[in-house]
Amino acid sequence: MIERKNARLLAFAAFIIFVSTIGVLLARQLNVGPVRPSPAFRTIGPEKAPVQIFEYTDFACPACRAAAGKIEEMHKVFGDGLRVSFKHYPLLNIHPWSLHAAAYADCAGAQGKFREYAALLFENQAKWGQAKSKPAEFKAFAEQLKLDWPAMEACSQAPETLKVLKLDIAEADMKGVNATPTFFINGKRAVGSGQLIDQAMKFDNLLRSAGKP
Amino acid sequence: MNDKNGIKEILGLLARLTLGGVFIYAGLIKALAPAEEFGYAIESYKLFGAGLALWIAYIAPWIELYAGLLLAGGVFTRWSALFTGAMLVFFEFLLGQAWLRHLPVTSCGCFGSTGSNSLGHEFIQNLGLLLLAWGAFKYGACCSADRAVEKL
Repeated sequence: MIERKNARLLAFAAFIIFVSTIGVLLARQLNVGPVRPSPAFRTIGPEKAPVQIFEYTDFACPACRAAAGKIEEMHKVFGDGLRVSFKHYPLLNIHPWSLHAAAYADCAGAQGKFREYAALLFENQAKWGQAKSKPAEFKAFAEQLKLDWPAMEACSQAPETLKVLKLDIAEADMKGVNATPTFFINGKRAVGSGQLIDQAMKFDNLLRSAGKP
Repeated sequence: MNDKNGIKEILGLLARLTLGGVFIYAGLIKALAPAEEFGYAIESYKLFGAGLALWIAYIAPWIELYAGLLLAGGVFTRWSALFTGAMLVFFEFLLGQAWLRHLPVTSCGCFGSTGSNSLGHEFIQNLGLLLLAWGAFKYGACCSADRAVEKL
């Protein structure tokens, strides 16, 4: 009798464990769960904007460069209706300097010039993206923007900087991101600027009503 | 069942559901976030290396989630309560040693990265949870799967 009772309980426990595991794995894929905010310098738009876009990007990826332009355009059109948060997802197997670029961009951000530095990285990605040795452009861009280069060098090697980058990558992996740029528009996934525009159109009413003065 | 036992059973049920709920929430919020995030929190206790901390971060949220679900559902209630209690004792050890060593733990990792109270606050909070584990162990059989199976 006791054995039968325990067997039933064991079966019930196994059922609970199985269902909850599937549920959590599905929730991960569907992007349900807490959203880890990007640092303030990596975000554009008001915190309460009705449309929230998270972009996983790689500074050496040509499609990300194109998407950056689209994001700029969207921001001009929709203004306060839109908040964009950038997350790093350097594709290390094909872009050897992307992680460095991401670290330097964040360190430029710490000095108040993330967007400017990111723009230079995108514009000139052909020059540094596939360099054989450490690209001189990282320093040149910093000097062009009058940033404190020694401070940026130290910052780029700081454990805290690398930790933030690793967490972005880990988060992207967990959400099943495997291409750049990948966007999450109010939780809906879009890969590439074509899908971005397509998804954003679905929130057109929200965007336009929030953008009106 | 007299009134006194009835109240004890209801309190036991509440303790079981509350503690189970806390474990489900804690496990879920960490299982839905990158393990590295929780791994960094574990590292800050200065007891495990980065590699081991990451392994713990992969596994612990699932254990918390399962333990919480089994406890809340009243499956092997006494064992579930004992197990969650043992986990809480381990958490108390982690928090206590960090508190005594004045380690700069900015996120205790208790409920993901959604913010963290001071180590002392978390330590005291865990004592409350331990009390719930005791209540669930002693009087948590009401409305449990254990009882439902007995009636089958």
